[in-house]
Amino acid sequence: MSTKAEVWQGTLALMVLKTLNALGPQHGYGIARRVEQTSGDLLSINHGTLYPVLLKLEQEGAIASEWGVSENNRRAKFYGITKAGQKQLASEVNQWAQATEIVARFLALKGAKT
Amino acid sequence: MIRTLRRLWNRTGGSFSGHRRESDLTEELDAHIQLLAEDNIRRGVPPDDALRHAKLQFGSVESAKESYRDQRGLPALDAIGQDLRYAFRWIRKNPGFAAIAILSLGIGIGANTAIFSLVNTVLLKPLAYQDPDRVFTIREVVFDSRGQRSVTPVNPVHAREWAKHCPSLEQVALMGASTANVIAGGEPASIPAVDVPHNFFALFGVEPILGRPFLPEEEKEGSNPVVILSESLWRSRFSADRSLIGRSILVDGQNHEVVGIVPGPLRLPYHGQTNARFEIFRPLVLAQEELSRIMGNFNYGAVLRVKRGVSAEQALAEINVVQARFPAQLGRKEDLKATLIPAHELFVGRARLGLWVLAAAVGAVLLIVCINLANLLLSRIASRSREAAIRTALGASRGRQFRMVLTESLMLAVCGGALGLLLASWSVQALVATTNLDIPRLEELRVDSNVLMFAFCITLLTGLVFGALPAWRLTRNDPQQALRAGSHTVTEGRHGLRVREGLISVEVALSAALLIVAALLTSSLTRLLQVDKGFDADRVLTVDIGLTGSLYAEAAHRENFFNRILPKIGSIPGVQASGVVTYLPTLGQIWNDPIYLEGAPRESRYPVDNRYASPGYFRTMNIAIRAGRAFEENDRGRGVAMLSARAAKLLWPTDPNPVGRSFMGEDDKLKTLVGIVAEVRAELHNEAPPTAYYPYWQRAPDVVSLVVRTTGDPQTAVGAIRATLRGEDAQLPIDTIRTMEEVVDRSVAQRRFQITLMAVFAASALLVASLGIYGVVSYSVARRRNEIGIRMALGAQRSQLLGLIVRQGMAPVLVGLAAGVAAGLMLSRAIRSLLFEVQPADPLTVAGVTGVLLAVGVSACLIPARRAAGTDAIAALRFE
Repeated sequence: MSTKAEVWQGTLALMVLKTLNALGPQHGYGIARRVEQTSGDLLSINHGTLYPVLLKLEQEGAIASEWGVSENNRRAKFYGITKAGQKQLASEVNQWAQATEIVARFLALKGAKT
Repeated sequence: MIRTLRRLWNRTGGSFSGHRRESDLTEELDAHIQLLAEDNIRRGVPPDDALRHAKLQFGSVESAKESYRDQRGLPALDAIGQDLRYAFRWIRKNPGFAAIAILSLGIGIGANTAIFSLVNTVLLKPLAYQDPDRVFTIREVVFDSRGQRSVTPVNPVHAREWAKHCPSLEQVALMGASTANVIAGGEPASIPAVDVPHNFFALFGVEPILGRPFLPEEEKEGSNPVVILSESLWRSRFSADRSLIGRSILVDGQNHEVVGIVPGPLRLPYHGQTNARFEIFRPLVLAQEELSRIMGNFNYGAVLRVKRGVSAEQALAEINVVQARFPAQLGRKEDLKATLIPAHELFVGRARLGLWVLAAAVGAVLLIVCINLANLLLSRIASRSREAAIRTALGASRGRQFRMVLTESLMLAVCGGALGLLLASWSVQALVATTNLDIPRLEELRVDSNVLMFAFCITLLTGLVFGALPAWRLTRNDPQQALRAGSHTVTEGRHGLRVREGLISVEVALSAALLIVAALLTSSLTRLLQVDKGFDADRVLTVDIGLTGSLYAEAAHRENFFNRILPKIGSIPGVQASGVVTYLPTLGQIWNDPIYLEGAPRESRYPVDNRYASPGYFRTMNIAIRAGRAFEENDRGRGVAMLSARAAKLLWPTDPNPVGRSFMGEDDKLKTLVGIVAEVRAELHNEAPPTAYYPYWQRAPDVVSLVVRTTGDPQTAVGAIRATLRGEDAQLPIDTIRTMEEVVDRSVAQRRFQITLMAVFAASALLVASLGIYGVVSYSVARRRNEIGIRMALGAQRSQLLGLIVRQGMAPVLVGLAAGVAAGLMLSRAIRSLLFEVQPADPLTVAGVTGVLLAVGVSACLIPARRAAGTDAIAALRFE
């Protein structure tokens, strides 16, 4: 159970970084919406779990936050990716690609046997 | 790795966040939900429902916040923060208790810190020399043919031979202390000076900050007079003028070239001079005559530095080999040895025991304070056990609760410690600024890092000591029982009371021991002040006169000076009598020289203290003349002397009135005994030594004390005395003119200081202990209200009830008293050397202390007992 959550949190962090890298500073709701949209609404994230992830990324220095005004004139906290975050994103993208490739190979192997 | 560290750092910060971050979070999440709701409206959800939908979509806000908070800080730090917050809240809710605790801890910790800074400065801090552990003071030990041992200053020939023949010694240096008259910038002043050899500064590792040390050739007779000044003298009297080097200044009326400035004033390990702060250094020039006297002429202070890695025993063994040669050379039967005293020991030796006694006393006071606070906390357990039980029931672990309660006591201790540090630094400053105590190195006293460290440690220790027991007992309670019973009937039980009674016994024992020690010291001081000094200090003024300048190099000039001023002083209105003497009594100065009957063998020469006095001295000081008469002016030209009764007994053990007989005086010339006088104490705490008095004109001394007895208020004569001296010699340095009472008082100032502190500590111990007794008894009475009610209903008399309560309350007091008296008696034996004419087991003191403690104990029991016995039986029974 806890390992699943870990994996899920890890991927959510990656998605957040990627989103911020591609679209520039966003507030929490904006990030959640983009992630859902990017996944073609296949993914529905519990918005409440987003904030601990943002906090963790901010504590690590991957993103930085700033209070600003949203598109409908509401005070909101905007998150933007930092230099360190971009580096982290690049290395995590690599790792992820590697991991999926390995998994994909195993899946392919499995398919050949049956 | 860096990422993890960075996160850890940020989380540590997150633990100290506070309200701002919390409200930020709330606002951020609110904004999120609002945005979600507005999107919902855009998508066609009816506005009434939009917000509800948004909240559903978001999920539980509280749970999001909770997991956010867990991420934000460090749980361990958060727990400590919580403990601190609870502790703070608890203290705010119990302001009375907290105030008492903080105040008593503050005073306790403050007193301990102040005494520690004294101990630290005087006993623990190394001396300001290079490698002070290798510096020793050396004194010679002479065993006469009867085997009697006397310790003397050093003979210069001996010192030279040690340096030559002892491979363990790195350096040896003689020192000759004096005072020098310096005229610079206004008033002439007499300043402590010391004559030293050229290697002196190297021995101590003292580098001149300007100029150079002395040269070997400057020690030769007839060489140019040179002088080295201390930095403080150079700054205060010569305004730190760098061009002073090479210039001449007047020292004792003679031009001296200044060759160097050294840091200082210097304190030297110079026996009998440890309180002097030397500011003037001159080369030690030894006359040829001095270097030819192999035995005798034991007149110099001496220090030596042993080589690295050499023990004191080894060095001493080598010196003793050299020492044995000197009497042998002369074919004498005397035995000559030496003794080495570590430099540090010379400074602190006298002060050590007294300071440790004070430190122990003040430590005991703090312990009593801790015990009392523990007792107070224990009595609060009853009311807190319900709270603790609820916490336990809600899942708080015992360890966590223990920590929480301990945090409270630590918080109190820290507040008390801060207060204590404040009190300590004030009192230390006040002590340095106002004191006239001759505690060595007192002027170095300050609150430094060692003292801060001590205060910190003692604060934590205090918090643990008084907090641990109550915290442990609180968390040991059975929560079920505590929750089941009504809160006001929850008690700590018989066992808890036993613990508290045990604590009372400890408090009483400590107080009793302190009281015994304080009482013994106090009665020592009283007896010391009442001791028959042999003279009458009432209405006597005194001032030191030093005739050290070149004007007075000749004895005749000094004699003339005294001849001229004594009649002038005597004719000042209001002056009853006046005189001069070489050393005032009670200041501890003794100058031994032998007296003997003409033709007596060496064994029958008696060393006696000798003093030179003017005829008026005895009348001025009211020293009783037992037989014969005092000196008279017409004794001039005749060899006369006076002896104390004890000195006369040495020469003529059987003759009841030897006045008129003659003996050999200190100058080996025949003296006629003209009078026998009463014994006069050279030191207050020692029996008077046998003393010989010679008229001042026999060996006109260069330093004397003038004494003047007035008919009325002595202060009115001060101005006239000063003017008379000034009129005789405008360049004469004149010290403060004091009353003889002040002089005597000064000699006991250190004792009085110690005893005052001891008395204060003992009194506070007694006060705190009595509060403790009162607390325990009144608590146990409150607990037994029901039982008392039943007893009264069954017909118990008021007096019976009082007796019952007092008897039970006094039981731990008696146990503690017995233990305390035993401990006090043991302690007083250890401090025997601080006592004066009081036996360590003085029965009166023990009885007095026992009486006081019993009285205090009974009254502390009686107050709650009377309250209990006065209650209405019905009310007591209804109380349930």
